[in-house]
Amino acid sequence: MKVQRITIAILVIFLIGIGIFAQTLHQQEQRSRSQDLQHRGNYLVSLVALHPMENFLGSKRDYIVKTLAEYVTSDGLIYCIVQDQTGSPLLSLAHRDVVAKIPTEVEQRSLYVNGFIQQTYKMVGTDQTISEFAKPIFEGGQRSGTVRMGFDLPPISMFSLERIKLMAIMAFFAFSMAVLVYYGVTLALRPLHEVNQNFRNICIDSVPVSPGSFRNGGVGEIIKGLEQSVFQLKDRYEKIQAENIDLTTKYGVISFEKHNVFNILDSINYGIIVTDIQDNITHINSYMLNFLDKKQDEVIDHSLGDVLSHDQIEGFLSQQEALKQSSGARHIEATFPELASGESFLVSLSYLSGREEDVIGKVISFKNITSEKSAENAKHEFITRITHELLTPLTTINSYNEMLMDDEIDNVEMQKEFYNTINEETSRLTSLVKNLLNISKIEMGSLTLHKGLVKSDWLFDDCLTTVEGTAQKKNITIERNVPDSFPALFADKELLKVAVINILGNAVKYTPENGHIQFMLTEQDDFIIFEVIDDGYGISKEDLPHIFDKFYRSTDPRVTEQTGSGLGLALTSEIVRLHGGEIEVSSKPDEGSYFKIRLPKEEYYLGKQ
Amino acid sequence: MENNKRVLVIDDEAHIRRVIELKFKNQGYQVITATNGEEGLDLIKSQQPDVVITDIMMPKLDGKALCERANELKEKRPFLTIVMTCRISPTEKDWIEQLTDTVFVEKPFSLQTILKCVDQYFGDH
Repeated sequence: MKVQRITIAILVIFLIGIGIFAQTLHQQEQRSRSQDLQHRGNYLVSLVALHPMENFLGSKRDYIVKTLAEYVTSDGLIYCIVQDQTGSPLLSLAHRDVVAKIPTEVEQRSLYVNGFIQQTYKMVGTDQTISEFAKPIFEGGQRSGTVRMGFDLPPISMFSLERIKLMAIMAFFAFSMAVLVYYGVTLALRPLHEVNQNFRNICIDSVPVSPGSFRNGGVGEIIKGLEQSVFQLKDRYEKIQAENIDLTTKYGVISFEKHNVFNILDSINYGIIVTDIQDNITHINSYMLNFLDKKQDEVIDHSLGDVLSHDQIEGFLSQQEALKQSSGARHIEATFPELASGESFLVSLSYLSGREEDVIGKVISFKNITSEKSAENAKHEFITRITHELLTPLTTINSYNEMLMDDEIDNVEMQKEFYNTINEETSRLTSLVKNLLNISKIEMGSLTLHKGLVKSDWLFDDCLTTVEGTAQKKNITIERNVPDSFPALFADKELLKVAVINILGNAVKYTPENGHIQFMLTEQDDFIIFEVIDDGYGISKEDLPHIFDKFYRSTDPRVTEQTGSGLGLALTSEIVRLHGGEIEVSSKPDEGSYFKIRLPKEEYYLGKQ
Repeated sequence: MENNKRVLVIDDEAHIRRVIELKFKNQGYQVITATNGEEGLDLIKSQQPDVVITDIMMPKLDGKALCERANELKEKRPFLTIVMTCRISPTEKDWIEQLTDTVFVEKPFSLQTILKCVDQYFGDH
């Protein structure tokens, strides 16, 4: 519909153009003919005016009339009138009724004007326009007459044959130009078509273009296409923007998860190194960075070998690389003397797999197993120590017995000494086994205190009696300091006795002959206190923190030459702790030691209830 | 039954030192004693014993270290070492194999066993 209107408008403009063009041509021709008429009239009137008046009379007049008559009939000459000075016509070539229709003023002006004159007028009673040319005739310098000629200018047809031909030629040229311009424009717009096509190709998922869209062709099509492409692009842009938001959200979630994983890796007590397939480090956790004493940028993207520089681990990794498919253990114990002296690490290797189950990297973890190793060593040491402590008295008993049985000891005194040693070692073995049992019960949490009312004077005397024999042998004086009335205790008498005897026995054992020991019992606020003070060998600063450790024995030869398992004080400490009490010790080498056991009386009151 | 062979007994346990000393003296050996590894090593160097009977768990220098030091000395002058041990762990096997002229006797042992080891050693040499 729109196209039709445009077509009509173009057609109207085209017709108006043709009309204006035809009109212009008409006017041009009119002007041309008018000029031509003027020239011709001027020429003819001048030619006739050259003739003397006598020529219009007699025989010459026929020749002039004949000549002029040709013009009158063929070329628009309506009339030719030669008049004398008075105005009387000497020659008149015209229709009778024509002369009568010439207005008088036109004749008068022509008759009395001295020079050439042209007048245009309308014949009386008609619409016919006549141009009159007039010129005076001079003879002997005197005006003798006037020549007047009237010419008719016939109307020109708008659509003459010539004009139609001309217009046809013009139309042909116009059409040719239009065709040329069309192809020129089409050629010029071809890149735009291509751009348009490209837009369409870009917008793959966009709305399909209707086949009618290109029917009209031309710039309109291109603009339509471009418009459509812009809409498609906009649509596409919105889709991409939505996808972008989606991806940004997913990226945010993944970043958060990644951050979480890194935080978890940073919070664990393992060293973690992650590498790519080329063994370049892609991640390292805080523990490992601290351990290596390096910064992140000194490690990330660096080769694992360069960062660790550990032959043992590199050898292990190469070996694992060769056995990648095997399911064997992938860990090794390693030490880093330069980074952590005396510490042991369990270095484990696992492979990172990609989507296709292919290996894309390695995870190497470093677990500090120093404490586990130490516990393992302690366990081994403990068993070795127990075995030694049990087998040593057994060996003594066995070998002494063997000597006696083989009659290798003749001397009776020596035999007695041997029997005595066997007896002592048996007691030692018994005591050791009891201590061990108690210690193991405490450690397993199965030691139950059989509490009862304990009169502290009995306990005090029992302990004293146990060590007095040995003290007397060494001539050691034991000074008793006791309150007037002994307080009562609610405790496990047997265990408490073991605890106090261990302290008192050590005082006797590690005090030289003729030494002095103070054994005191006091009551202070809510506590009952046992104190043992000796002037023996004392305990060195190095030994003091370890005297309550199981199997710990000083390296002082004065101590090592005495029999001992290193379990006594460990057991004492545990027994006191189980009774809710505490044990204090202070000592100076070669001056003596001071032990204090504080037991709460609360237990006693509970017992009374 | 005088014997010019010298036996060194190293143990921090006085009773064991005494009984081994008696046993070997009864067999005519010369016996010297030491109460720890360090003292024992000094005596090995100064007294050049033919047999060293040592405990493993001792103060100052333990039996293991003593064996290693003794092993170095054996390159110049061979002698027999008898180690009185409680238990031999599998991890110690490699260590034991590198020691020359060394016999391990597990506690509680018979004195007769030790004596046999010594007699056999001198019988071979």
